[in-house]
Amino acid sequence: MADYNKPIPEADPYVTQPFWDGAKDGKLMLPRCTDCSKVHFYPRIICPHCQSFNIEWVEASGNGTIHTFAVQQRAFGGWAEEVPFTTAFIDMAEGARMLTVLRGVDSTNPQSIKIGSKVKVEFEKASDDISVPFWRVVE
Amino acid sequence: MPNNPSMAAALVGAGESDKIGFVPEKTSLMLHAEAIKNAAADAGIHIRDIEAVFSAGGVPGMQSPGLAEYLGIKPKWFDSTTVGGSAFVMYVHHALAAINAGIFDIAVISHGESGYSGGRRAGKGTGQTRGQLDPWAPASQFEAPYGLAGAPSSYSHAMNRYMHQFGVSKEAFAQIAVVTREWAGLNPKAVMHSKETNPNGGPITIEDVLNSRVISWPLNLLDVCLVTDHGGAVIVASAAVAKSLRRKPVWVAGAGEAMSHSSMLAMDDFTRTSASVSSARAYKMAGLGPRDMEMAMIYDSFTYTAGVTAEMLGLRPRGEGPTLWAGDDARPGGKFPVNTNGGGLSFSHSGMYGMMLLVEAQRQLAGTAEEPGIGLPGRQTNAKVAVVNGTGGSLSTTGTVVLTADS
Ligand SMILES: [Zn+2]
Repeated sequence: MADYNKPIPEADPYVTQPFWDGAKDGKLMLPRCTDCSKVHFYPRIICPHCQSFNIEWVEASGNGTIHTFAVQQRAFGGWAEEVPFTTAFIDMAEGARMLTVLRGVDSTNPQSIKIGSKVKVEFEKASDDISVPFWRVVE
Repeated sequence: MPNNPSMAAALVGAGESDKIGFVPEKTSLMLHAEAIKNAAADAGIHIRDIEAVFSAGGVPGMQSPGLAEYLGIKPKWFDSTTVGGSAFVMYVHHALAAINAGIFDIAVISHGESGYSGGRRAGKGTGQTRGQLDPWAPASQFEAPYGLAGAPSSYSHAMNRYMHQFGVSKEAFAQIAVVTREWAGLNPKAVMHSKETNPNGGPITIEDVLNSRVISWPLNLLDVCLVTDHGGAVIVASAAVAKSLRRKPVWVAGAGEAMSHSSMLAMDDFTRTSASVSSARAYKMAGLGPRDMEMAMIYDSFTYTAGVTAEMLGLRPRGEGPTLWAGDDARPGGKFPVNTNGGGLSFSHSGMYGMMLLVEAQRQLAGTAEEPGIGLPGRQTNAKVAVVNGTGGSLSTTGTVVLTADS
């Protein structure tokens, strides 16, 4: 963990703290509207589906599929040491979408990575306070 | 219902900065000023005749007032709507509405951006580095941790989804880059005019694109726009003033704007842009449709941007956008010319390219595309109706205008 050399996010204690608290415990937490029952991501204080301000946090399944991906050949900071790596947008089972870096893929062979593949969330401890979610291909 | 503002205003002049491409001796403001000088001269007006300033970038501090201050004028209308490279096309919409309301007669839409050289000066002598994003901002928490490095690294996700969904090949997109180099070959100002102006200059082949360095798969280097220094400006005038000036008016028949998202974190459908909406608004105002268009200026930040936009504008069926560049139609001499200056891929792209779409469309429809210093034989097309579409942000915002030549 001391050698985590990628950007480490900072929790917003007024809005996103439950997300990062969950991540620390290995749970994927999503904001859900208590009026229309839809989840959204990134977290907001307003529901982008119905404009309600009544938001609760729920634990998600951590299951999803690859909506799309790209293989990065150019990056900065700690990520520069990882090229090529594969970034992806994940369709989470609960209905929202999240950017991530994929694990369990061969980034030197983009053709081997398949849109629609099942993925599962996992967390890497980056600091005492922050664990960063990543998604791993499980099929 | 309010009256339809169609044809209430016209583009009456256009200009670029004196030099385009790599201009380390000029700041963004200087590029703005040169472009405005040249556009005003083209229109036959004095800079102090300008009553409204539309500008989105390249000005330290306040945008349009900062530019007006530099020019030494005090306009009665300011607009710095900041929506990425589509802003300039949207400004035509805004200027049309204000002119139709009788608020002013003459406006300038301007852009100057030291996109290549300015970045190499950043931080020096200012006592500060680039502005830091708020750590609580969504992008800081949910994008920055994942190593994306600028526009190519995000647009590539959209291109991959499109290729997957419609079974379209990288070759089909590479063809777009090939055709823009052909147009650049007719434009002596184009950065990629020839192998003499740049090692990657035209002509190029599909294989050249596919064999160029991968930036963010599926995007290769030659799928990606240039990063350059340039200025551009157009003068917009009311119908009455336009008819009194030296150039044939290029009429604003229709205009529209739309958005689908701001950051790609919230992009719903990677295979579409809001150009389907902004163009529908512009076509409706014009009383015209895609089949009435005779040429197109389409923002080509990436081959993908141009390809998907072609179908969003109704120029090609869904899932077949890149085929606009297959065959000879979009090429020099073809029956539906596209990006006749060489586009952001081959002419010049400073960061926000949209301004140059308007400069070129004005010249094509005013019939000045081959005037001395502007072009080479073969560049002027016969088109009388053009659709112009700017795309800004991360495929986020679009502005569309339909322009018609004076009859
Ligand atoms: Zn809701």
